[in-house]
Amino acid sequence: MPLSLSDPTWYPIASSEDLPFRHVYHGQLLGRELAVWRADDGNVNAWENRCLHRGVRLSIGINEGQELKCQYHGWRYANRSAGCTYIPAHPADAPARRIENRKYPVREAFGLVWSAANDDQRFAPFPGAEGHDWFALRPVPVNATPEDVLAGLSRLAPDDQSVEFIPGRAVTLGSARFFVQPVDAARSVIRGILPEKPADEIATLRYYNEQLTKLRDSLERAAAKKPAPEPLQPVFEKVSVELSTMPDIAVPRGNTFPVVVKRKWQSADGVIGFELADRDGKHLPTFQPGAHIDVHLPNGLVRQYSLTNGPGDLMRYTIGVKAESASKGGSKVLVETVREGDVLAISEPRNNFPLRRDATRTVLIAAGIGITPLLSMARFLDKSSLNYELHYFARASQTMAFSSELDVLHGRVDRHIGFTREAIKAKVAEVLGPYQFANHVYICGPGAMLEMVQATAAALGWPDDAVHFEYFQNDKVIDASSAFDVELARSALTLHVPAGRTILQTMREAGLTVPSSCEQGACGTCLTGVIEGEVDHQDVYLNKTEKASNTCMMTCVSRAKSGRLVLDI
Amino acid sequence: MTITLYDFELSGNCYKLRLLMNILNVPYAIHPVDFFPGREHKADWFLRLNPFGQLPVLKDDDLVLSDSGAILAYLAKKYDTSGQWFPDDPAVTAEILRWHAVADDISATSSAARLALGYSYPFDIEKSQKGAHRIFRILDEHLWFGEKAGRDWLCAPAHPTTADIACFPYVMLSEEGGISRQDYPALRRWTDRVRRIPGFMVMSGIFPAGPAKT
Repeated sequence: MPLSLSDPTWYPIASSEDLPFRHVYHGQLLGRELAVWRADDGNVNAWENRCLHRGVRLSIGINEGQELKCQYHGWRYANRSAGCTYIPAHPADAPARRIENRKYPVREAFGLVWSAANDDQRFAPFPGAEGHDWFALRPVPVNATPEDVLAGLSRLAPDDQSVEFIPGRAVTLGSARFFVQPVDAARSVIRGILPEKPADEIATLRYYNEQLTKLRDSLERAAAKKPAPEPLQPVFEKVSVELSTMPDIAVPRGNTFPVVVKRKWQSADGVIGFELADRDGKHLPTFQPGAHIDVHLPNGLVRQYSLTNGPGDLMRYTIGVKAESASKGGSKVLVETVREGDVLAISEPRNNFPLRRDATRTVLIAAGIGITPLLSMARFLDKSSLNYELHYFARASQTMAFSSELDVLHGRVDRHIGFTREAIKAKVAEVLGPYQFANHVYICGPGAMLEMVQATAAALGWPDDAVHFEYFQNDKVIDASSAFDVELARSALTLHVPAGRTILQTMREAGLTVPSSCEQGACGTCLTGVIEGEVDHQDVYLNKTEKASNTCMMTCVSRAKSGRLVLDI
Repeated sequence: MTITLYDFELSGNCYKLRLLMNILNVPYAIHPVDFFPGREHKADWFLRLNPFGQLPVLKDDDLVLSDSGAILAYLAKKYDTSGQWFPDDPAVTAEILRWHAVADDISATSSAARLALGYSYPFDIEKSQKGAHRIFRILDEHLWFGEKAGRDWLCAPAHPTTADIACFPYVMLSEEGGISRQDYPALRRWTDRVRRIPGFMVMSGIFPAGPAKT
């Protein structure tokens, strides 16, 4: 049977013990090279062996525990999703969500790691697999065709024993099973397993290794006498220009997906933790530190919550909700009526608060519930062994959320409890110190705290681009004096927006249902695609590049500079 | 003491000495020798230092030494206060010298293939590559069974020796000679361990491994 690039069979590609923590294994199946690595949470990833950026092999990259870092330009990819989480050449920007490496299906079972060229077949254990604690022999690579290697293995059977071929290029010899991994047209690996650990482990391993080495030598002698088949020619998908140049243009949202509340618990006085997971147990989309999600609440409101998760932690999103902040009844609904097992709709993560990883010093300042995005940042910096200090201000120790999560960090975590406003200011000034090159501070907390830290940092010579925070409200004075027409391309409607009315209000009056939340240009819920016309941006949600792209806008506050706007609604 | 290393930046054999001196925290000066394309190692002044016309040469005050394996042993015996890099135990000494010889075989194959492909040396590329694969197979088997027995390094002691330093560079540089290490998973894991030795330093083509899990 000749090899096929589209063969959907699951083959072993490594032994479990080939994948220690913090190692990247170099594998190959049916001509396609693989970078295979185990994350610190035990999960095994099997990815196409090339960085999306410049095509360098990821097998020479660095396994940072929950992210794989390319050796060439340091692009980082998340455990499970293979989504790009950081691009060092663009340290201040969040990479576009769709930068995601090619993944192959992977399973760890029976002492081996299995993969397949595609998802067409479900993983099924080989006959008789269950009920044993399989023990892997030393794998033996052979420069011969998989077909010849399989035939050679079958000849190892003593004359009085029958050879049983099992599906997936494998044979049973006595109690042992031998699988032939089709590396390429003329290259194979013999992977043998025994149903249990033998009494004399080393002697048994030596015995089989000797037998297989002799078989290898004879197979290779035979292979050298005949013409070698041409190597397989896998076709690699080209990387698009947008991918390799990293656009940071906002993709209009509106898309939500359901998650189930896996866990709801009291994280501290007045703070409720929620764990949200995929309903089918799959991983959630890639996020970067500082990212938030929109949560669509049962009462129709949409609220933003920062993710607290660390790198590559995609089996659930963990958020913290302040019980008493019942403004417009958003958090109140979550705290009072949403229970474990309930299903909520959430948006994909979006990041307006990206973390640079090129700082010589990173200061994280949290107040109250503002700890949530900074916990995520601290976890990322922690895994990359980067220096940081986290200062957490709270009224009382029992109101400090995520305490046990903070306890396991390796970096400096200072808790400042019960400080007066003046004392907080003095402490912040002491912590910041005079500005030095490549220092960055990240602040999250109430508005008054943000302003105080900004002013303190400015007085100490910190430039604006070294002081990072996330807007939860828009303090700009909105100029609503313009009047213009909006053409709603998908609704086939043209509306006139008079001075003093917003686009959002005008659309609603015309009977359209449009999602919104803060209605002051801060939350991003009403983000809309722009097809034609020049936008008069007045929000604090989009960044400069996104505004300059003129491809999207916030309809709750932004208006038109041109007489007519064409929107993708 | 004043140590001068007659060095070519892209030479794996010179890198062995830079690596050990960095690990041992021994200060040294570098005298660059234009091995390629200048062929300065065949110049009269260099042949007076080493009639074999080979890099590296190391001068420690008035003492002039050549051959990377011999110099590794000298540096370890003279400057390694821990005594672990070249232990006195006769059996371990023999074991280390055995791997120093393997290191020379790796140079004769893996380094030769690299010189042929990257530096236009008239060596038989295919023969050099085959020779390197033959050694790597044995190395991988040795290291695989070592892992099974709880041994992380080439020799018996529970710590690295000059044997690991001697064999490491031209294993790591093999891809430049067109020799893939894909079929040698245990050898690849050993290169992670070498790259995590405190004081490890890189050279062109040899990348860091990142920290181990704590």
